[in-house]
Amino acid sequence: MLKWTLPLAALLATAGLAPAQAAGNVTMAFDNNVLGLNPANLNDNLSMSASRTIMQGLFGFDKDMKLHPLLAESYEANDNATVFTIHLRKGITFSDGTPFNAAAVKTSFDFMRDPANHLKRLSLYAPIDKIETPDDSTVKITLKQPFGPFIANLAHIAFAVMSPKAIAEYGKDLDRHAVGTGPFMLDSWQTDTLKVVKNPHYWQPGLPKVDSLTIKSVPEDGTRISMLQAGEAQFIFPVPPGMAQSLEHNAKFDLIHKPSIYARYVAMNVLKKPFDDVRVREALNYAVNKDALLKVVFNGYGQKLDSALPSGLAGYSSQGGAWPYDPAKAKKLLAEAGYPNGFSTVLWGNSASLTRKAMVFLQQQLGAVGVKVEVEPLEAGVMISRIYGVQKPEEAQTQLYYGGWSASTGDADWELRPLLSKMGFPPTLYNTGYYSNPKVDADVQGALETADAAKRAAFYKDAQAQIWKDAPWIFLVSENILYARVKNLSGIDVMPDGQTLTLDAAFTK
Amino acid sequence: MLTYLLKRLASTIPVLVAVSIFVFGFVHALPGDPARLVAGPDAGPQDIAAVRAEMGLDLPLWEQYGLWLNNAVHLRFGKSIRTQEPVSTVVAQRFMPTLWLTLVSLAWSMTAGIALGVLSGVRRGKWEDQASMVAAISGVSMPSFWLGLLLISLFSVRLGWFPTGGYDSWRSFVMPAFVLGLGVAAVMARFTRSAFIEVSAEDYVRTARMKGAPERRVIWHHTLRNALIPVITLTGLQFGFLLGGSIVVETVFAWPGLGRLLVDSVSLRDYPVIQAEIMLFSTEFVLINLVVDLLYAAVNPEIRLR
Repeated sequence: MLKWTLPLAALLATAGLAPAQAAGNVTMAFDNNVLGLNPANLNDNLSMSASRTIMQGLFGFDKDMKLHPLLAESYEANDNATVFTIHLRKGITFSDGTPFNAAAVKTSFDFMRDPANHLKRLSLYAPIDKIETPDDSTVKITLKQPFGPFIANLAHIAFAVMSPKAIAEYGKDLDRHAVGTGPFMLDSWQTDTLKVVKNPHYWQPGLPKVDSLTIKSVPEDGTRISMLQAGEAQFIFPVPPGMAQSLEHNAKFDLIHKPSIYARYVAMNVLKKPFDDVRVREALNYAVNKDALLKVVFNGYGQKLDSALPSGLAGYSSQGGAWPYDPAKAKKLLAEAGYPNGFSTVLWGNSASLTRKAMVFLQQQLGAVGVKVEVEPLEAGVMISRIYGVQKPEEAQTQLYYGGWSASTGDADWELRPLLSKMGFPPTLYNTGYYSNPKVDADVQGALETADAAKRAAFYKDAQAQIWKDAPWIFLVSENILYARVKNLSGIDVMPDGQTLTLDAAFTK
Repeated sequence: MLTYLLKRLASTIPVLVAVSIFVFGFVHALPGDPARLVAGPDAGPQDIAAVRAEMGLDLPLWEQYGLWLNNAVHLRFGKSIRTQEPVSTVVAQRFMPTLWLTLVSLAWSMTAGIALGVLSGVRRGKWEDQASMVAAISGVSMPSFWLGLLLISLFSVRLGWFPTGGYDSWRSFVMPAFVLGLGVAAVMARFTRSAFIEVSAEDYVRTARMKGAPERRVIWHHTLRNALIPVITLTGLQFGFLLGGSIVVETVFAWPGLGRLLVDSVSLRDYPVIQAEIMLFSTEFVLINLVVDLLYAAVNPEIRLR
C-alpha cells in the first residue's frame, strides 16, 4: 500500500544523510524477480540465490564453486556409488528453533522427492531409492543405480534442508515460507522487493556480519548502474558487458569479472545434411573468429572455449587451445565435403539482445566462407515447441542452434549428459544437435557409476577429446561473470554459474 | 437514469464472457508447452509431468475453461504458476502502484494538456501557439526509455533529488509520472486545441461575444465546455490504456506495475495470471466507457441518457 506519510520520513532521512549501509543493511539489485524460495522448486539463478540466504544443504559451494561440506561433516561412498553415508554437524538449529538432525534431513528430502508434491526439481532427487537414519547425526542414502556425481548434486541448492516444522505447517506454500539453517530469515516480500534479516540462531560464530539484505528487481540495465552510482544499491548483478566500462577504474566501485561456467556454442544437427559430415563441422569451427566474437558481443570479457566444457567446471580438460581461426582452411574443407560454393542454413537462438548480436556476428563470419545463414531469434515458447515438440530425432527441424549452458551442479556430468549424449536427446533433455558417439555415451555412463574422483576425471577427459574430434558444436566462448559493488562492501560474490553468495557480506570501514 | 445504469451494467456481462473465451483460446493457442517453460531447460521428464499436473494442463481444454469460469464467477482465480502466489494477490499488489501512477500522470498531463490547448486555441497562429505545439510534438515523439534514463542520470545520480525508481514515497512518483504523462499531455493539448478552434467558430460563441459577455466567460464557459466532449472521450481512452501499465516506464523505473507483470506472465505462459489481468483490463475499459458516457451528460446537459 502507498504510504503518503512517508514523504516526511524520507525528507528527514535525506536531511540527516544517513547512508543505508551504516546499519549494516545491504541492498542488491538484480535484473529479474525472485519467483519462489523453496529450493526444490526453483530453476532460475536469482530465486536460487535468494533461497541460499535462508537455506543450506549438506554440502555447499564457495565463490569459485569448489565443493565443501556445509551441514555435513564428512561422508563415505561405496565403490560403485550407490550408498552414501553422510555424517552431520551437531548442535545446529533451524531459524525457527527446530533442531537440525538426521530425521530433519530425511523429512525434508522425502517431502521434496514425493511426486505428489509436484516440485520442479524432482529429477535431481530421482536417483534416490531410500533414506535411512542409523543415528541422530548420520544419514544413509541408497540410490537406485550408481550415480557418481551424487555429492555434487547434494551441493545443488535443491537439496537444501527445510525445517520439518515449516514443512508440516506450510506444505505447498513453502515457496513463500521457506525456513532453513541459513544465515538469514525471510522478513518481508512485496512485489519487487524481498528482505531477509539476520538469523539469531545461526551456527557459524560471528556470521552473518550484516543485519539485513534487500533484493530488488530492477530490469533495466542502465537503472541498475544508476542505483549503484546514486547509493541506492551496494551490489548489482548482472552488469552488461557493454556498460561495464562506465564502472571500471572507478574510485567508488569495484567491477568484478571472472570466468563463468557458461559455455556458448552452436550445435549443428548432425543427423541432417550437410552437418552429418565432420569436414563441414570442422569448417564451421575454422570459419569463426572467436577473439572477434568476444570483442564484439562480450566487450572482451570472456575466454575462448578450448574444450566442450568451460575451464571452471569440475572435470574439464583442455584440448590444447581454442579452435584456430582459418577461413581459407574452412573453404578448403567445405570444398572437400562437396560444398565448394557453400550452402544455406538457418540459425536459431533465443531473443535476448546479446544472443541476437552473437547470431548476427556468426552470420557474417559464416557468410565469409560461403555459408549463407538466416538468423531466426525465437521467443521462449516458440523455441520450446520447436525443440521439445520433436518426438523422433529424424523429424527435428533444427539446423544450427546458438545456445548457452551452465551446469548448476558444477560438475561435468550436468553438461555432457544433457547436451552431448544420447541420454540428452529432446524431448528428454537439451542435446539440440542430436550428437551421440558410443564412446562418449559410455564415458558419461562410466562416470555416473563411480564416486571415485580420479576415475570420473579420466572418463570425462576421454569424452572431451572425442567430442573435440567429432566437432558437433562450433565451440565458441565462455563469457565472464560481471558484477559490481561499492568499495567498502565485501563478501558478496557471484559464483561461476551465476548464483550469488551472501554469507560473508560485510562492510569495511 | 438508474434503469440506464443497470441496463449498461448488465450488458457488460456477455462482453466479458466473450472476452474470457477469446482470451482463453488465444492463450492456449500460444506455441510452446507451458509446463516445459516453467520447468526450465534442464528439467527432466518427471519435472515436466509434475508441473503439468500442478497446472491442471492434463485436463481437456473445455474442462479447463469450465473450471476456470466456475472459479472466476466465485472470484477465485487460482495460483500463479510462476510464483505460486494466489493470482488475486499477485494482481492486487501490482494494481495499486499502477492505479496511483495512472492517476498522478493523468492529473498533471490533463491539466497541462488542456491549459496548453486552450492557450494555443486562443492565441492561434501567435508564438504561444507555435511554442506549445512544438512542445506537444516533442512530447509525443520523445522515446520514454531514453528520457527516463536521462532523467535518472540527472536527478538521481548527479543531483540526488529523486530515487532511481521503486514505489516508496512521493519522490519516487515524480520521474515516472512525468515520463508517462508527457505523451498524454501532448496528445491532450493537440486535441483541446483543435476542438477549441472548431467550437470558437460556432454561432453561439459569436452570439455570446456580441451580447457582450466578458472574454474570459466566452473562453471558459461557452467555448471550452463544449470543446471538452472529445477531450473527455480521449481522457477515458488514455485512462484505460494507462491502467494497463506501461512496460517501458515500469522497466526503466523498476515500478512494480501491471505492464511488466503481463509481459513476464506471457513469457512464462502463466495462464491464470494472463487471464486474470486481461479480464481486469476489459472490465476497466467497460466501466470507463460507462463513466465517460455519464460525464457527457454532466458536461453537456443537451445529452440525455436513455
